[in-house]
Amino acid sequence: MILLILTYIAVIVFLYFNIRYGYKIASAPVHLRWELYPVPHEKGRAQYGGSILEEVDWWTKPREKDKIAELKVMIPEILFLKAIWEHNRPLWLGSFAFHWGLYILIGNMFLLILSTILGFFGFSINAEQGLIASIIFYLIKWLPIIGSVIGIIGGIRLFMQRIVDTDLRLYSSASHYFNIILITLIYITALLWAVTDKNFVNNSISFYSALFTFGNISSLPLVAYIHIYTTLFFMIYLPFTHMTHFFSKYFTYHKVKWEDEPNLPKSKIAQKVSEYLNYPVTWAAPHIGSDGRKNWIAIASTFPGKENQNEN
Amino acid sequence: MRTNIIKITDISKPGQLTEIDLQELAPLPPPYDDYRNLPGFKKLPKATMENLSDSPDGVLATGLSRPASKEEEERLINLFISGLKKLFTKENNWTFLQPLILSMEHCAKCQTCNEECPIYEESGHNEVYRPTYRAEILRRLYFKYVKPTNPLMRKFMQGDIEVNWELISKLFELSYRCTLCRRCAMSCPIGVDNGLITHELRKIFSSEMGLAPKELHEKGTVQQLIVGSSTGMNPEVVKDNMEFIDEDISERVGFKVETKWDVEGAEVLLIHNAGEILAWPDNPAAFAILLDAAGITWTMSSELVGYDGVNYGLFYDDVQLARIAMKHLEIAKKLKVKKIVMGECGHESKALGVIADRIFEGAVPRETAMTLIEDIVFNRGIKFDPSKNDFPVTLHDPCNITRAMGVIEPQRRVLRYIAPKFREMTPHGVNNYCCGGGSGFAIMSGHNFLDWRMHISGRRKFRQILEAFKDEPPGKEVPKYVCAPCSNCKGQIRDLIDFYGAKEKSGLYYGGLVELVVNAMVDIKDKFIDFDMM
Ligand code: SF4
Ligand code: SF4
Repeated sequence: MILLILTYIAVIVFLYFNIRYGYKIASAPVHLRWELYPVPHEKGRAQYGGSILEEVDWWTKPREKDKIAELKVMIPEILFLKAIWEHNRPLWLGSFAFHWGLYILIGNMFLLILSTILGFFGFSINAEQGLIASIIFYLIKWLPIIGSVIGIIGGIRLFMQRIVDTDLRLYSSASHYFNIILITLIYITALLWAVTDKNFVNNSISFYSALFTFGNISSLPLVAYIHIYTTLFFMIYLPFTHMTHFFSKYFTYHKVKWEDEPNLPKSKIAQKVSEYLNYPVTWAAPHIGSDGRKNWIAIASTFPGKENQNEN
Repeated sequence: MRTNIIKITDISKPGQLTEIDLQELAPLPPPYDDYRNLPGFKKLPKATMENLSDSPDGVLATGLSRPASKEEEERLINLFISGLKKLFTKENNWTFLQPLILSMEHCAKCQTCNEECPIYEESGHNEVYRPTYRAEILRRLYFKYVKPTNPLMRKFMQGDIEVNWELISKLFELSYRCTLCRRCAMSCPIGVDNGLITHELRKIFSSEMGLAPKELHEKGTVQQLIVGSSTGMNPEVVKDNMEFIDEDISERVGFKVETKWDVEGAEVLLIHNAGEILAWPDNPAAFAILLDAAGITWTMSSELVGYDGVNYGLFYDDVQLARIAMKHLEIAKKLKVKKIVMGECGHESKALGVIADRIFEGAVPRETAMTLIEDIVFNRGIKFDPSKNDFPVTLHDPCNITRAMGVIEPQRRVLRYIAPKFREMTPHGVNNYCCGGGSGFAIMSGHNFLDWRMHISGRRKFRQILEAFKDEPPGKEVPKYVCAPCSNCKGQIRDLIDFYGAKEKSGLYYGGLVELVVNAMVDIKDKFIDFDMM
């Protein structure tokens, strides 16, 4: 029962803090344009980094956005860590394996959820239940093993690189090592559980089933408990680390690097910006001329005289 | 195993962290490969170092005075911390808050960005120039003062940092060791932007503490807002100067060239970087010739600020940026022009074209000179004889026009047509390297900063230029033209050529795009580009 309650808490904490942070970022003011070319949705120009600003009288021309092109950049980046491959090859192997370990375990988690739901409809997952059931059965049996082995290789390599490579070591805080150890521990325990527990598939499904029904969890091997508790801790811990980049990357790409929306009269952006221009400016340097109440419009349309320029 | 280990926390220790050693810099191609035959690196006098900023590298870009008393030091520390906190408020920094928080929160310390930084690379991997060095300091400060947690937890998660005079003065200096070229940001897998972080650091110093290089602030934005131009030209002087240029050029080309002033309803309001008028008068003259030949109604503005597209606020202070951009907007509206065309100036183009877009509300459309020149060359019936440009030409891509605006091809299409010996640098376009004078450096030469920007920040560009011409005879017998369609880049390239003696040694010359175009016009009988006069 404690395990169940802890699992619910971990899921709630994970979702709550990630959503809260995501909301904070998403609702931050629209910033000044700061796109960085190449912007992939620039149709016909993205391959060399061009933009519509290459057109004479560009504001009279139709803006064609190629959203598929964005995916063509995002997918290799997410799946193959393309930027690291191109710009930091020595780190790529460890990083790739470390991430893919997680992708595979997360994929397996979805399979377990699917199996649990199918189970509610009387479709049980085992090796003798027909083709689809046995495919799912063997996937659940083997994916954690494959994912964990890959993840462990990645974890060990990244850990060693962080220790041996001075550039990485100088910038690593204790948490960097801890994060690698923690995730590698998840891989190791998943692997041990999967290879030592003859009922691994059934036990895993029954855990998820108990989660859905608030039922009893069948007794699990010790290593399974260690794996689950470590994973729960990771879920609670993750929202407070830089690892939230798994979703904030959406914002750094789509809302900063590729955010090239021009501000047209009466647009949503224009409305928002006119609201921001009413914010009070409180910067203290004399040349700003703030009195704590003057807003951006007042500050930007005046300039304190020479007598206030005695700075430095 | 590296021996020159500098830790993040060393920033708070007294004294210099590193010394520039010319032998450690990445070697240049011949005849510049022996550092003993190149100008040296000026060491600052001991007294200067004792009285001014605690420099991280023995270089001073700003030269902040040491606090005279403990109280003064306390005051600076308190101001710095209050500025740091304000940087993360939407009221003071709605302009960049979202990208800044993202860059603070998500760096994985993977160091993927490092090798993309020309300054870090050319310096022989000097730790203090690593793109993540400054960034990591700001990040630790953010977690200490803006998002405080339990100190033990913070040390575990981010590591510690101590704010004192040493940190403030070194960080101030370090915020002027990055050209904001954002090449590092292109490679970051997460999308963290170390260029932006440097930009934001500069804002704490300027907007809260009143600290900025005098070239950018007092002689830059302040002078521009008060006198009319960062060059110091008031409206009368600028008109006089343009009149002089018109007369001189009319004589040279054999027909009347006349600058138009304050023409209401003109198709184009042309705003040059006023530095062109003083340093490279052929550039505004060439624009006048081209626009007239194309039959475009155009004007310049003689109103305060209206004749100078410079906006150094872009580099260090959003309020100054907004003030100058609003003046430009106001003037364009008053003149009821159809569009603003930013002259050959990268940072002007970026400031007016994209950065200020959010405050312009589309009120007056703006475009870069690149697109207008392309349109004139190909669509306005002017006759060109490309063989007049019979010398090797390469193109420098200003970061602000390429990486920040995506304007890559128009200038190339023009060059491919009018300059038969045009060749690219490697890499180029959106992957270009900064000239080394970006973010205001081109006009900063105080103390020994000129040596720094020649030996370090401009080194990669100088190498690229030499390599672009490597299939040409190496000496001065063949003049080689570096086309730099940006005033600041041009200033930096001029300084590089002078510093390395590259006109004599390699036959390097530089200039803008529009001069090449006019040089190729059939109607211009004499040489418009005359290497003997350059
Ligand atoms: S800025 Fe990006 S590339 Fe550089 S260390 Fe941080 S995450 Fe890695
Ligand atoms: S912005 Fe440019 S100069 Fe600055 S750290 Fe990045 S690559 Fe280096």
